[in-house]
Amino acid sequence: MPETITATREITLGEAVREALAEEMRRDSRVFVMGEDVAQAGTAFKVLSGMVDEFGSDRVLDTPISEAGFTGIAVGAAMTGMRPVVDIMFGDFVGLTMDQMVNQAAKVHYMSGGKWKVPMVMRATLGATRRSAAQHSQSLHAWFCHIPGLKVVLPSTPYDAKGLLKSAIRDENPVVFYEDKMMFRFKGPVPAEEYTIPLGVADIKREGSDITIVATSSMVHVALSAAKLLEEEDISAEVIDPRTLWPLDEKTLIDSAKKTSRVIVMDEGYGRYGAAAEIAAVIAEGAFFDLEAPVKRLCAMHVPIPFSPPLEDATVPTEKTVFEAARALLGGK
Amino acid sequence: MAISVVMPALELAQETGKILSWIKNEGDSITKGEPIVEIETDKITFEVEAPGDGVLAGIRSHAGEDVPVGQTIAWIVAPGEAPPAEAETAAPAARTMTATVAPVAEAPKARPAATAPEPATKVSPKAKRLAKELGVDLSRVRGTGPDGAITSEDVEAAAKAPAPAPQESTALSAIARLMAERTAQSWTTAPHFFLTRELDAGALVDARERLGKAAVTHTDLLVALVARVLLKHPKMNASWTGSGIQLHPQVNISVAMAVTDGVVGAVIPNAATASIQDIAALRKELTERARSGHLRPQDVTGGTFTISNLGMYGIDAFTAIITPPQAAILAVGRIADRVVPVDGKPGIRPMLTMTLSSDHRVVDGAQAALFLNDLAEAIREPGNVL
Repeated sequence: MPETITATREITLGEAVREALAEEMRRDSRVFVMGEDVAQAGTAFKVLSGMVDEFGSDRVLDTPISEAGFTGIAVGAAMTGMRPVVDIMFGDFVGLTMDQMVNQAAKVHYMSGGKWKVPMVMRATLGATRRSAAQHSQSLHAWFCHIPGLKVVLPSTPYDAKGLLKSAIRDENPVVFYEDKMMFRFKGPVPAEEYTIPLGVADIKREGSDITIVATSSMVHVALSAAKLLEEEDISAEVIDPRTLWPLDEKTLIDSAKKTSRVIVMDEGYGRYGAAAEIAAVIAEGAFFDLEAPVKRLCAMHVPIPFSPPLEDATVPTEKTVFEAARALLGGK
Repeated sequence: MAISVVMPALELAQETGKILSWIKNEGDSITKGEPIVEIETDKITFEVEAPGDGVLAGIRSHAGEDVPVGQTIAWIVAPGEAPPAEAETAAPAARTMTATVAPVAEAPKARPAATAPEPATKVSPKAKRLAKELGVDLSRVRGTGPDGAITSEDVEAAAKAPAPAPQESTALSAIARLMAERTAQSWTTAPHFFLTRELDAGALVDARERLGKAAVTHTDLLVALVARVLLKHPKMNASWTGSGIQLHPQVNISVAMAVTDGVVGAVIPNAATASIQDIAALRKELTERARSGHLRPQDVTGGTFTISNLGMYGIDAFTAIITPPQAAILAVGRIADRVVPVDGKPGIRPMLTMTLSSDHRVVDGAQAALFLNDLAEAIREPGNVL
């Protein structure tokens, strides 16, 4: 069931992220923010505007351009009792942090026999169509999904972003939290009162009976638009947002696939060895004998993201591609 | 040294054989020549004899299975010896079993074991599962899914729809299956053409009276006459090989005989030189064996021309489907009294209608007509030929 949100208040996804951070920083003095341009500039996307005024430059730390360095600082800080939240402006820059994340953050708890833990959060962005070209437009979240010891969160709404980020900060493990850079101004209802959303619970954004569309991050909204188009054709589409790619709510995905027997998986990362591939495999393994058709992936085109607007737009699945794919899976009905 | 027991090729066009039952079990000591397994080939059942002494081991194919000709179905090993692993299965069929069955020695050995699979209709996993649960025969379901795939909805619809016909026998016997395959193959690949002759069978009837009605049938006489006429028409006694025409020096007449599940062609070898009495005796023997289901491989192999007589069923005339790889078949109707002109006046004569089906890749209409004409002459005056 879609979670019922009683709030009449609507805020943007960027505001929801800021609220989550501010609330957790008020709640827990060990929480601090670190990254390039997070303090005075409030990040390149203005998500953290004003944070430094409330919490001071000791807890909202501007760093040099040094992703590997400040991510390493965060790992060490987390090991020694702090709860750092690092900001990776463009998700494309995570390459610089990989040794710290993959070999240190993800492994320390295991290598120390459980004596150390790394309760840190890395916030990063994904998503194309911002005309930022090939080095600032990628969606590389699948990289982290591959590593045992890391959790990966991809919220699609302000409500989910706030509730999930609070859970991520409170989690005892390293969590990578991906925000779509095109969605910071996306508005949605968020209650004023305190709430959290557990990691590992998918949300059915729209109920349907003929086809399941599993979508992540901003693709959820593309899926919802496509579902409306399909409804005009008397095709009832269910839209599921896994919300966290790890832990993955396999049961919700498989149950829906069993119910509708046809599945499209959308993700803005590359399809090849990507998040959608994993979800498709989970569904194929769990619901094979209830499927009417192969599970269909709709992902970013397997190319460097072009700067040219028309070319860039062509690399991302649209409601039309979802609509066509859904009709094809239904045998052109 | 282990000896392989392979599925024998007992007929020219045989592709698979079915294991009916194992007479011997794994571990049994056996001596050369002892029957060890009963198989059903295209037209007969046959006991395969042990190709050597030893212990039966490594049975790979079990009762009910269809096995490609030439494939190893078991091994005969020394006591304590383990049967060889997978390799050697593709060894030619002839080495062991076929050597005990004389007519098969010259069977083509390079025949592919199986034909290319037909493009299968797609069935969704859900539909497949549902079909099993509901007992729906997927071959009767039309798919409406992507690429015409059968979906569970199609299966459900088929389950609700009244069965189109009572379930026909799903398990075809080897004979019925082969008849279906061979006639379809012949009809769809061999360009048939048909020539019909109506002729006076008075002399044939007289000849039978003379030879003794109990001893000789009209079919026997026709076998002898057709065989002798074929000597002058080698192209009627031939095969299309795919790239050319193969003439057969020997005239072996297949006589179509009804058996429980279909029809078999029992072969009268060297019918052009055999006496009418020998032909009659052999034909009688074959008829009895066909009736009791005891035809041997050599009884049904090597035919070069077929005669099918439905006269005893009251059929006036019919067209027959050529038995591959033969080039022609003669369809014989009943002998019936008809009013025909005799010396310019209406007279009553025993008349017979014959229809010759020929493969146009091997013979043309004129050649077939000349053969039929000579045959008609021979029937008009059988004494000149016999």
